[in-house]
Amino acid sequence: MNVLLAILLILAAISALGVVFSAQTIYSALSLVLTVGLLAVVFLVLNAQFLFVVQLIVYAGAVMVLFVFIIALLDPAAEDRPRLLDLRLILGVLAVAGLCTAVFIAARNNVTYDTSCTSQAATCMHGYTVGSLAATGDTTADPFHTFGFPQAAVNQAGNVQTVANQLFHTYVLPFEITSLLLLVAAIGAVYLTRRAAVGPKRDPQAEQRWKDDLVEGIE
Amino acid sequence: MLSQAMFPWLLLTAAFLFTLGALGVLIRRNPLVVFMCIELMLNAVNLALVGYSSYLNSEEGQVFAFMVIVVAAAEVVVGLGLLTRVFSIGRELDVDDLDEMKQ
Repeated sequence: MNVLLAILLILAAISALGVVFSAQTIYSALSLVLTVGLLAVVFLVLNAQFLFVVQLIVYAGAVMVLFVFIIALLDPAAEDRPRLLDLRLILGVLAVAGLCTAVFIAARNNVTYDTSCTSQAATCMHGYTVGSLAATGDTTADPFHTFGFPQAAVNQAGNVQTVANQLFHTYVLPFEITSLLLLVAAIGAVYLTRRAAVGPKRDPQAEQRWKDDLVEGIE
Repeated sequence: MLSQAMFPWLLLTAAFLFTLGALGVLIRRNPLVVFMCIELMLNAVNLALVGYSSYLNSEEGQVFAFMVIVVAAAEVVVGLGLLTRVFSIGRELDVDDLDEMKQ
C-alpha cells in the first residue's frame, strides 16, 4: 500500500512538472489529465471511493475535455521558452523549495490539532501539539485521531453512504449553495459567450462570389 | 487508513503540486496554461484534504474536497468563457497583453 502510494505521488509530481514546463499548450493539458487521473487513484488508495469517481467524471470527463476543446478552438501558438532566469522564475523556485521544506518539516514534527491538549506541556500551543508523537514515541495513545473511529468502521455502510450522510445532514446548506454557484456560473458563461456566438455580419456579395468560385471549381 | 510514515510525504507532494501551480501562474504567458495551473493548485488542496481525511479517520475532508471540485468546475466554465470572448474580439492570448484592468 505504501509503495503504491509513493509511486503514485512521484508520478503525479513528475506529470505536474509537465503542466508547467511544456511549451505546447496541448502537452500541458495532457499532463494535467495524467496528474488528475493519478490523483484520482491516490484517492482510491486513501479509501475515498466517492471522490475517486467524482474526480474522474468531473475533472477528466468534463473539465479537461472542455480545456482540450478550447485549445482546439483557439489554436494558441506555442510559447517561446517561458522566461528562463527571470526574477519571477527564481523567486518562484525559491518559494517552491521553501514551502515544501516548511510543510515537510512541520508534518514530520507532527504539528496537528489536538483537542485533548492541556496547557501544562511546553510543546502545547493554542491547542496545537508539536512533536508529541516524536517525543514520547507512544503511538498507541495516538492523540491525532481525534475522531476516534477506525476508517473501516466509519466506512462500514460504504464510503458513498457516509459522505452522502455528511453532505445531506451536516453540510446540507453549503451543498445547496453550490447549486446556486453552478447556476450563476452557467448564466455567466452564457452571457459572456452570447455575442461571440452570433458571429460577424453576413455579406451577401461575398457569399455570391464564394458560390461563383465553387461553381467554377466544379466546372 | 494512511500510515504515519506516509503522511508527511503526502503533504509534501500536495505542497509541491500547489507551489508548482503557483509558479506556473507566475511564469507562463498563455492564459489557458494559467488556468491549468490554477486547476493544479486546487487539486493539490484536494490531495491534502483527502490525505488528512484518511489520516484523521474523518469523512469531513472528503466533503470539502467535493466542494472544491464544484468550485473548480464553475471557475473553469467562467474562465474559458472569458477566454473565448477575448479571442473572438481578436486579441492575442497573452496575459502580459491583457492588462487593461491595471489602469
